[in-house]
Amino acid sequence: MTVATAHAAPPKPSTWTRVRGWVGNPWGRPRFLVGFTWLYMAWSIIPALIAIQFSFNSGRSRTIWSGFSTRWYWGDVDSVWSDADLHHALIQSIKLAVLDVAIATPLGVLLALGLARWRGRGAGVSNFIMLFPLVTPEIVMGVSLLLVFTHVFTFIQPSTTAQVLGHVTFSISYVVVVVRGRLFSIGRQYEEAAADLGASPAVALYRVLLPLLMPAIVASIAIVFALSIDDFVISYWLSCGAGCDTVPIQIYAATRAAPLPSTNAIATILSALTLASIIIGYLGYRFFTRHERAGGGLVGDMAAFDV
Amino acid sequence: MAGEVTLVDLVKKFGDLAAVDGINLEMPSGEFFSMLGPSGCGKTTTLRMIAGFEQPTEGRILLDGDDMAYTPPHKRNVNTVFQSYALFPHLNVADNVAFGLKRQKVGKREIRERVAETLELVQLTGFERRKPAQMSGGQQQRVALARALVLKPAVLLLDEPLGALDAKLRKALQLELKALQQQVGITFIYVTHDQEEALTMSDRIAVMADGRVEQVAPPREVYEEPSTVFVADFLGVSNLMDAEAVGGANICRLRLGDFELDATRGKTDARGSVRVTIRPERVHLEPQDSTGQNRIPGMVQRLVYLGNSVQVIVHLAVGNTIQALVQNVGTEIPWKQGTAVQAHLPADALRVLEDTGAALAPLDENAVPA
Amino acid sequence: MYPRWLWSGFALPGVIWLILLFIIPFYAVIGVAFGTVDPILFRPIPSWNPLDWNVGWMSQTLTRLEPGGDLWDVFVRTTEYVVISVGASLAIGYPVAYYIARHARRTKALLLVLLILPLWISYLMRMLAWVNLLEVDGYVNRFLMWSHVINQPYGWLDGKPVTVVFALIYGYIPYFILPLFAALDRIDQSHLEAARDLGASPLQAFLRVTLPLSKTGILGGCVLIALPMFGDYYTPNIVSGAPTTSMLGNQIDLYFHGTSQPTIGAALTILLSLFLVVLMGYYIWTVHRATKELAST
Repeated sequence: MTVATAHAAPPKPSTWTRVRGWVGNPWGRPRFLVGFTWLYMAWSIIPALIAIQFSFNSGRSRTIWSGFSTRWYWGDVDSVWSDADLHHALIQSIKLAVLDVAIATPLGVLLALGLARWRGRGAGVSNFIMLFPLVTPEIVMGVSLLLVFTHVFTFIQPSTTAQVLGHVTFSISYVVVVVRGRLFSIGRQYEEAAADLGASPAVALYRVLLPLLMPAIVASIAIVFALSIDDFVISYWLSCGAGCDTVPIQIYAATRAAPLPSTNAIATILSALTLASIIIGYLGYRFFTRHERAGGGLVGDMAAFDV
Repeated sequence: MAGEVTLVDLVKKFGDLAAVDGINLEMPSGEFFSMLGPSGCGKTTTLRMIAGFEQPTEGRILLDGDDMAYTPPHKRNVNTVFQSYALFPHLNVADNVAFGLKRQKVGKREIRERVAETLELVQLTGFERRKPAQMSGGQQQRVALARALVLKPAVLLLDEPLGALDAKLRKALQLELKALQQQVGITFIYVTHDQEEALTMSDRIAVMADGRVEQVAPPREVYEEPSTVFVADFLGVSNLMDAEAVGGANICRLRLGDFELDATRGKTDARGSVRVTIRPERVHLEPQDSTGQNRIPGMVQRLVYLGNSVQVIVHLAVGNTIQALVQNVGTEIPWKQGTAVQAHLPADALRVLEDTGAALAPLDENAVPA
Repeated sequence: MYPRWLWSGFALPGVIWLILLFIIPFYAVIGVAFGTVDPILFRPIPSWNPLDWNVGWMSQTLTRLEPGGDLWDVFVRTTEYVVISVGASLAIGYPVAYYIARHARRTKALLLVLLILPLWISYLMRMLAWVNLLEVDGYVNRFLMWSHVINQPYGWLDGKPVTVVFALIYGYIPYFILPLFAALDRIDQSHLEAARDLGASPLQAFLRVTLPLSKTGILGGCVLIALPMFGDYYTPNIVSGAPTTSMLGNQIDLYFHGTSQPTIGAALTILLSLFLVVLMGYYIWTVHRATKELAST
């Protein structure tokens, strides 16, 4: 480089380089990715929002908006409140979810504890059996449960009971996974400290381990409730007919058959219930771990679900 | 007096691996007794067996004469301070400390009094309502101590309790712990891998390696009169050398390369291949032309200035490299890099060691000791 | 400190439940598939003893699945839909997961919530939403006509494969992005900084560091959505309903709820499961190999 060039100003970068730099800046905000991500979010969520909006349509159409009204929730003869089928489906969904939580949570917590600490032959096999429902396609589970209730355990035909049993079967594994994660991060130290200080094994479990597991238990209750309420396949395969129909089944039937905004309405109610369950579960998790935080925040909490 | 622990032929096997391979130890009442060794030497496993969290494969654990090896941990009159403190996160300081008292069905007023008393002992008065997550490491450690001490156990077990703290805090707490032990008077059994910590606090130290005890002795003895190669190497700089011994009663005649030396310490009746050690502060460097017994010529390889002293790394004519430590008395040191010197290894500073075969830490001849 | 029998005792109720209501039902499927059919009532008679197994129905179903058989087309179609859907999910999902994991700072928490949100809106509601939009007089047609892309409303819901694939992508992509996000989030920033420090351009750092390290995440996400997608029947039914877009799941559904031939349905279920087991095995084997590689570095 000659002395003259050294004193001259550096050449201005070409337009192409500038544009590329703007788009592809690795240490700044990559604008293409930002736009793409928000576009995805919009695509992902807005359709549901539109469906919710139409549940408040004052007309009978799900595609043409004629104004705001709550007629499809209550008031109209076809509304969720008045229509017997829709009404019953909502109650059935909630019934199944509550029973599912009541049975699957204790079974799952015990199973999680057992699998985490069992050191014997059979522990590995049991763990494998527990993982299987998580990867089995629902239709396979639906078919197998239907056939087992029609040919083996014939004293239980497809019915509400069968649906509950089916729900619990796929829910247990979720409880185990959530509780096991928490168990893993707690370790044995607190129970050992409790025993060291004079607590019998029962007291150590009840006064030390159980309170420490509460966040995971609350989270799994919320998850099981949400999974059960949203479940379609298992409920469908074990349904006894109209008396066993849940909200997802109603939506499935109505979507192609008799489209009214009341379908949107009941779907909105269902989603609201699910979201409420998750939010309560999350808040419950945060409440029960409030002692353990110096800082934290939302992203830190997500790590607790690493399983 | 209560609080004497005796381990008899204690063995713990995990599958085929013997974590603790037959140890016998006597820890008298009221003593600050440390188990010192590298990770994997079995010290923590031994401690956990005394506490009751592991069951021995063989052997007995006697507390004041009674074998408690098969007593569940909640029934032993022994309490532990855990490495991670294990303070119950959902309870505040007062409830944590009171936990053991509640198990003993002690009355509410007495609980309050004893908790307050013990918190004062560890200088945490006023912290009753705090949650563990809101406290510093040093404070948490003291809560863990209080929680154990309030139960007035016969023996207190401490599993590397200062490991998670920074150096300065650690030093301060070492002195505090020692003072506390003397004040309270109960037996402390302390596990650590930090030799300085063990030397500072203990009444006696058991140096362990590979699941076995290499030597049990007070700190001064363990440092100045190590009985095995491992102990010599683990505590401080050892200047280990291989030599041929022709033994004697009180004097061991050694052949080191072409040189003959006398050693009056250690296993003086040894014969054949032996290993000898001398502490760097006992190595006396003399001018090149100096003569006399126990002197080996060498060359100064490096000097490391430590402030209060200077390390002189000398390469000896026999092939070994040893370290000499010269105290800084204000005058300049006559040896420079490359100077020829005579290393005088006084006979009463040379120790002949027993080699138990325990694996030593990898040697780095140029390393500055911690 | 705990009695030895405690933990196996705790596990027992759950294990028994799963054996009774998960393992045994599988055997019920096998029993029906290899059973016989009552010729008068057309009801299946399961054979529980392997020695009594009647391979007739199974081999018949297998024949129909071979190239040329009527089920072969369904199988091919299902595979096409799944491959396209998974591919599109990857193309769309990777940039989103990448952005949230590696670049979003202040908005990361919000984006995570938005990412998870669709999982808790019922799957059927999300399908319902699109059915409304894709109606003849729905917003999609109205927008396309308004922007003069088409002149007449298009029958999106009249048995169009495009619609089915689109619905599959829409329905399953949140389940794909989440594990991918987790994998990308785990990648240590210092690896990338080291690559840049050693002279790699941003693109090279991505291709040579980020992409390989996210391979297990990609594979995991693909398997996680491919497995259920192969058994999906409700998505085609909701957005199409025509036999021309029928997937394997639809066939199984028909044999139980349509023509009432449970034996064939059971046989088909078994074959589908075996096929998926192969897929699962491949995934587990790859993860196992990747874990060994990581352990040896």
